[in-house]
Amino acid sequence: MASTFNPVANQMPTIIVGVADYKISTEPSTFLVTHALGSCLGVTFHDSRRRIGGMLHAMLPSATLHEGQKIREAMFLDTGIPRLLAALIRAGSKKGDIRCKVFGGAQLMATDNFFRIGSKNIDMFYRLSHEMELDVVSWEVSGRVNRTIRLNNQTGDVIVKIPSKPEFIR
Amino acid sequence: MKSAADLQTVVEMTRSIPCAPAILPKLLKLAEGSSSDLGEMEMLINLDTGLATDVLRTANSAYFASNQRCENISDAILRLGSKVLYRIAASTLTGRWLVHPVRGYGWEPGDLCRHSLCVAICAETFATKMQLADASTAYTAGLIHDLGKFALAYANFSALDDITNRVPDEFATWREAEKVILGFESTQVTKALLENWGFPSTFVSVGQYYQTPSECPEAERKIVTLIHAAKHVATQIGYGVGVDGFYYEPDEAALKEAGFKEEEMDAAIPEILSTIQRYISPSGEIRFT
Repeated sequence: MASTFNPVANQMPTIIVGVADYKISTEPSTFLVTHALGSCLGVTFHDSRRRIGGMLHAMLPSATLHEGQKIREAMFLDTGIPRLLAALIRAGSKKGDIRCKVFGGAQLMATDNFFRIGSKNIDMFYRLSHEMELDVVSWEVSGRVNRTIRLNNQTGDVIVKIPSKPEFIR
Repeated sequence: MKSAADLQTVVEMTRSIPCAPAILPKLLKLAEGSSSDLGEMEMLINLDTGLATDVLRTANSAYFASNQRCENISDAILRLGSKVLYRIAASTLTGRWLVHPVRGYGWEPGDLCRHSLCVAICAETFATKMQLADASTAYTAGLIHDLGKFALAYANFSALDDITNRVPDEFATWREAEKVILGFESTQVTKALLENWGFPSTFVSVGQYYQTPSECPEAERKIVTLIHAAKHVATQIGYGVGVDGFYYEPDEAALKEAGFKEEEMDAAIPEILSTIQRYISPSGEIRFT
């Protein structure tokens, strides 16, 4: 679906989510945005009943490589996703009302031994989404594109921007 | 445009871009030299008001400041030391050039600068961990590795759109498309620019071979492979990656020969990211010093 110009939406405040970070918003008239996912995954949660939204930008699949070290939970999918979900529930959301969308995981050209973060992230998300029984309604992952995503907290729509291509909505 | 003459045209066109990092090789030489060169270094830095301001600001920053304020470049050089000073110069001079607004590769303003800075930080980190090259040299090599693409975008070649439209349906890799559609590769432009500015041969080799390190003569293959690895890790991290970013083939043979291991590279990413985030804000704003 192509995006259309919406003057009201264009004036909505924007919360920026950095790499290895997550943010939530309980304010309906808000965008949550994260830039240049690369092989990272951008995960959005949205409760359309209460207009509560959240976004995670995770770089790596698992924190287990860094056991015993001080870690940033949002850096990893296996620590970041539970953290984001807990934040939404603390803000008043109910798990059964939360829809999840996932973006990113771009992959370099095929190699057997190097630079496979994109596919590892997608595998880990797939596993976690089953274990945590997430209601995943959109997958925009893999491929050779760098995605920037913007969650409209009013509607739950996610606007995807790819270099040299028009924006589209998921 | 589709001949060797066009390669020369691109290189010539970049001569008119202000703030080219042409004084970097001179500074690099001085940074490697003895303390007697400090006077010459001061003179070079003073020639560039923006650079002199950055140097003074860093010398007086919370990290370096002592009780006494640095009022001039001479004091700042003594306080920072030639290595730190060179790093500031490399970032300031290259960054200023790379943020010049250009069209091409689907870049947003500043994207090439963000990506090059990430490559530089990855290269510096791996150079230190694996002792493949001097860390400052690796950092600079990361900053300058793709100057040829900047020059191509500055020349505003319509052929770049043609490449964008024909990869991946007609060409599997960006290099392949460049060779057929442009008649040359962006790495050849980088090589020509660095040679014109008098960069040492190490940097010229990085510019020429970083996409295909196995083809590099053995003497400089280690640093070239280092930049190859850094480039791909930075691409996965994502900052500033254009439409071409994921269409390059990793050179597994060179990576293995240099001793790279995937798990060690992945394990270094949290540290690399923390460093990157000191220089690039969540909104993408770049701050070099």
